[in-house]
Amino acid sequence: MQNNGFLRTKEIIAITLILIGIKLSDSTPTLLAQKAQNGFWSIPILSFVCIFPGFLIMLYLLNKYQDKNVVELFEAINGKWIGKILGIVLFLCAFLSLTLDSRNYIEQIKLLYFPQSPTDMIYFIFIAVVFFGAKKGIEVIGYTCWIAIPFIKVSALCVLLLVMSEIVIQRIFPIFGAGLPIILSEGVKKASIFAELFFLLIAYQSAKKNTMFRKGITFGTVLAILEIILFYLVYASVFDYNSIEKIAFPYHDITQFISFGEFFTNIETIFMVFWLFAAFLKFIIFIYITTWIFAEIFAIRNFEPLLLPFSFLVIMIGLLPMNSATNELVLRETLLTVMSPIFILLPYILWLTAWGKGDLKQ
Amino acid sequence: MKKKLLFLIFLILLTGCYDRIELEQQSYVMAIGIDTTDQKGIYAFTYQIANPEVGSAAGQGGSDEPPTEIVTVNGADILSATYTANSFVSKQITLDHTKIITVSEELARDEDFLRVVQSASRSPQIRRGVQLVVTKENASDFINNNKPLMEKRPHKYYQFMLDRAVQTGIIPEATLHRFFQITEGDADLFLAIYATTESSEDKTNTTRTEDQYIAGEIPQIGGSPTQFMGSAVFKEGQMIDILNGEETRLAQMLDNTLEMDSYIATIPDPLMPDFRISYNYAQKEDPNINVNYHKDKPTEIEVKIPFQVEVIAIPSLIRYSQNKEFEHILKKSITRRLEDKTEALIKKSQEEFKSDPFYWSLYVRKHFKDVKDYEKADWNKKIYPIAQISVNYQLDKLEYGKMIDDSKLDKVRD
Repeated sequence: MQNNGFLRTKEIIAITLILIGIKLSDSTPTLLAQKAQNGFWSIPILSFVCIFPGFLIMLYLLNKYQDKNVVELFEAINGKWIGKILGIVLFLCAFLSLTLDSRNYIEQIKLLYFPQSPTDMIYFIFIAVVFFGAKKGIEVIGYTCWIAIPFIKVSALCVLLLVMSEIVIQRIFPIFGAGLPIILSEGVKKASIFAELFFLLIAYQSAKKNTMFRKGITFGTVLAILEIILFYLVYASVFDYNSIEKIAFPYHDITQFISFGEFFTNIETIFMVFWLFAAFLKFIIFIYITTWIFAEIFAIRNFEPLLLPFSFLVIMIGLLPMNSATNELVLRETLLTVMSPIFILLPYILWLTAWGKGDLKQ
Repeated sequence: MKKKLLFLIFLILLTGCYDRIELEQQSYVMAIGIDTTDQKGIYAFTYQIANPEVGSAAGQGGSDEPPTEIVTVNGADILSATYTANSFVSKQITLDHTKIITVSEELARDEDFLRVVQSASRSPQIRRGVQLVVTKENASDFINNNKPLMEKRPHKYYQFMLDRAVQTGIIPEATLHRFFQITEGDADLFLAIYATTESSEDKTNTTRTEDQYIAGEIPQIGGSPTQFMGSAVFKEGQMIDILNGEETRLAQMLDNTLEMDSYIATIPDPLMPDFRISYNYAQKEDPNINVNYHKDKPTEIEVKIPFQVEVIAIPSLIRYSQNKEFEHILKKSITRRLEDKTEALIKKSQEEFKSDPFYWSLYVRKHFKDVKDYEKADWNKKIYPIAQISVNYQLDKLEYGKMIDDSKLDKVRD
């Protein structure tokens, strides 16, 4: 077991930034723009407002019940059986997000860079790399994230700078996009685009000090959300409200579109390298914490052998949807909508139960 | 055990070769031409394929291959036609490096044009930076006749030609990206590049000056027959008219999303109309566009355009730089002329096109809460055609170049 607890604040920040921040470069913006048109950039703000207080409550509870991770916390508050059921719900959410997300990334890689290769082959190789990465344990993952983060963010910054001349600020108007009611309801419904935060809580014990974990994850989340909003604003103002909903992968469309002077015109592969690296890291973290949640529910202390069957399952289930459009616009959308109320309400229920039991008094 | 593992690892690594394709096995298309055929839904696609050996340092050793290969095939869309073309092009046709898509005027005016060009945006191979060119003749004739004399390499040729012409403003910047934005936005007009290799018969008309032409009308002697000049106006994805070079320049000056630095133009000398004064027009700041939207009466659009002028030639030898009164007259006549021309263009767009080629719908958007309201207000049917538009040119700076004064004619000829 490598989760002996030696991660520091900076590594937690890096992990959070990679797990959450990469949402700026997948199909999430398109998914949101489908409903909210050019007002979609404000949805993450609302989602954040919906989910973040609850998340802080979770951190508070974890702090109150020292030396426990999130699944143990469920059991400590609600008793063994209800706690386990909650754990299973958490696991199912994590696992389904993992599979649907991974399929989305595979489609991006295939469509844009390896059009001839079969999807299953790319999937297999991608998850194989992820598996070997995850096998190294949380500390290596954390450290790798910390080393990788400057490169990933600098490449994203370059994209931002190069696309600057294409931005037409007026395109963010009409400010509410498809309408204020739609944005508000979508903001609540898609609150679970930050669900990964809850999955990350399983690693609460892996930090050197609990305060480090709390500080790291809070800071990382705020950074990630700022980054996401900035990029979504760029998408809204580079494409227009009718175009953005048709473009499956706006980040890649932008990297194809920009050029570095007149001599370097087809430069998207440079950005692809860093993006791909970030994608690998994201799924390494994701598959690791999902397996961890599963192991905690069934009290499996040495869970790393489980990574292999889980990786295999991810490929098998991830290949089920017919195409990326179904995967993204039907399945992932439904999953996000189903998960949102769970993650918005769960912390308050836990808090009330804990308060009712009088556990919070000490 | 170790050997087996090694074998397995290599097997996995080899799968990376699925998409492996050598440079040598690819042929890079620089220009795609699209024409109509007799059959509905079937188009003729022309591909101009670059020969990478020509013009490169490595290929100096007496390669007598032509710089390009041009092939035409019929097909339903760009991608499927490339596969047909591959039946007689030896290498795999790659569209990643395409610079321009040329379309014949006939097809551009066809209502099915949007269908065929849509297929370009779906393919990840064709970039959104590709420029859209409308040609007077068939696109295949345009590509075949286009024989640049100085720049044999087609990718450089198109790039240089378009960059230069866009800089001087006689043709607009017309990327596919912009085409889709404006067409999907369904409010404004899109301007595509207009070009031809056919010269028009109407060359006797020499009353026109430097930029009042459209492609094909410029009375050139010598050089390559290809002319890029003016723009094709697209409304709702269909070509409706042609603007000449001068109107194209004006349209770009009024559009903040396009960049144009400076160009040289002439006006009749206000004091001696037989001569023309030439000046360099420069726009250092974006024009200020203010749209006052009114729900029940015509919307007011106020445009203020700050600009600078550098007088280059005064063949009449009148001393504008020395005489305050003359200078005032010159300033006024430059401003007046620009305003008149712009008003004429705006009037044309309001009355004939019923929409604007300046992308001004952007400025009315902030008056609406959401897209539904904005679309209901209907920019190109209800707002723009009846809007009251005032254009104000503001001359910031007037320079006379490096000569303060011209030689005095009466002193030279005494």
